[in-house]
Amino acid sequence: MHLNAEELVDLADGAQPESSAPHLAACESCRAQLRELRAMMLVTSDAIVPEPSPLFWDHLSSRVRDAVAVEASPRREWFDVSAWRRLLTPVFAVAAAGLVLALVVNVRGTISRPGAAPRAVIAVADAGAGLDLLNDVAADEDASLTLVASLTDDADLDTVREAGLAPAGSAEHAVTHMSGVELRELGRMLKEEMARSGA
Amino acid sequence: MAAADPRPLAELDEPMLVEACLAQQAGAFDLIVERHRRSVYMLCYRFVSNHEDASDLSQDVFLRAYRGLRSFRGHSSLATWLYRIGVNVCLNRVSARTTLGKLTEPMDERQFIDVRAESPSDRMLKDERGARVRAAIAQLPRKQRATLILRTYHEMSHQEIADVLGSSVGAVKANFFHALGNLKKLLAEEI
Repeated sequence: MHLNAEELVDLADGAQPESSAPHLAACESCRAQLRELRAMMLVTSDAIVPEPSPLFWDHLSSRVRDAVAVEASPRREWFDVSAWRRLLTPVFAVAAAGLVLALVVNVRGTISRPGAAPRAVIAVADAGAGLDLLNDVAADEDASLTLVASLTDDADLDTVREAGLAPAGSAEHAVTHMSGVELRELGRMLKEEMARSGA
Repeated sequence: MAAADPRPLAELDEPMLVEACLAQQAGAFDLIVERHRRSVYMLCYRFVSNHEDASDLSQDVFLRAYRGLRSFRGHSSLATWLYRIGVNVCLNRVSARTTLGKLTEPMDERQFIDVRAESPSDRMLKDERGARVRAAIAQLPRKQRATLILRTYHEMSHQEIADVLGSSVGAVKANFFHALGNLKKLLAEEI
């Protein structure tokens, strides 16, 4: 049986002496393979790499140092909570302002409606403490709310409707489409209901 | 984190030097680069056969080493660990693009070859032979090429090569055997 690749490499390397492979003495084919292997090892080992300039080594070190310095500089990680907070705070602020705007427009629009209806609605707002944002001390101190209030000063029910804030089927839509008689009746019913519940 | 070793960096052994790097001690990684830059560059050059790419790859090897220094456990030598990174970086690069267009360097890039006791004609002959062998090596399959380079030019044992390539000693020997056989055919085809 001929020598396999592993055995031939060990013999060519000198890791194993030729005496450890008795087959070699009897097999010209394996001896030829071993000779070729050794010859190719000699050819390859002779192929030297051109030595770069002595100045190159310091240049390489310098390049690596620069690259490492960039690598080591603080980076913003995707899971950096403070970075996300910085990024999302304005988004949340805008969303909150939009919500407040919708609420204020709704309340203001209801207040500005002529006739008896405002009294009824105001009565509801008074009953629900905290809904009257415009009279809230905290709201007065909040610059964003003040801004929203000034922007929506002139908003009326038509504006609310155009803004899509009182879609058909909603309570707001129903109230804003009531006649004067209906609104007066609604106010009366609400007062009765509040008197019964002791509100 | 361990307290910094008070000894000068140059006196630290490899594990301590790695510790110093991880402790952000100034100059520690520079020293690692200084100690291994030549062998890393030579390894890269063997794969790509041109100075420019070898230089870029060497930088990449050290940068990856810096990033992964925390994962260095000291089970192998730092040199072996760097070779492992180097082989991976080089194999990725050579598989990404062919280097055949850059296999022989212009003579002005070889001006720093050691000229000890060689006549100009001998040197030129040796250069040409070396360039042909490097070109042939560059055409070998990836694992055969890596095995041949590490065994022949970096004198690594079969076991060390197996560690670097993540294969068995038997596979390394087989790759080495087939690499030399293929190299013989490639060089014969050229003549």
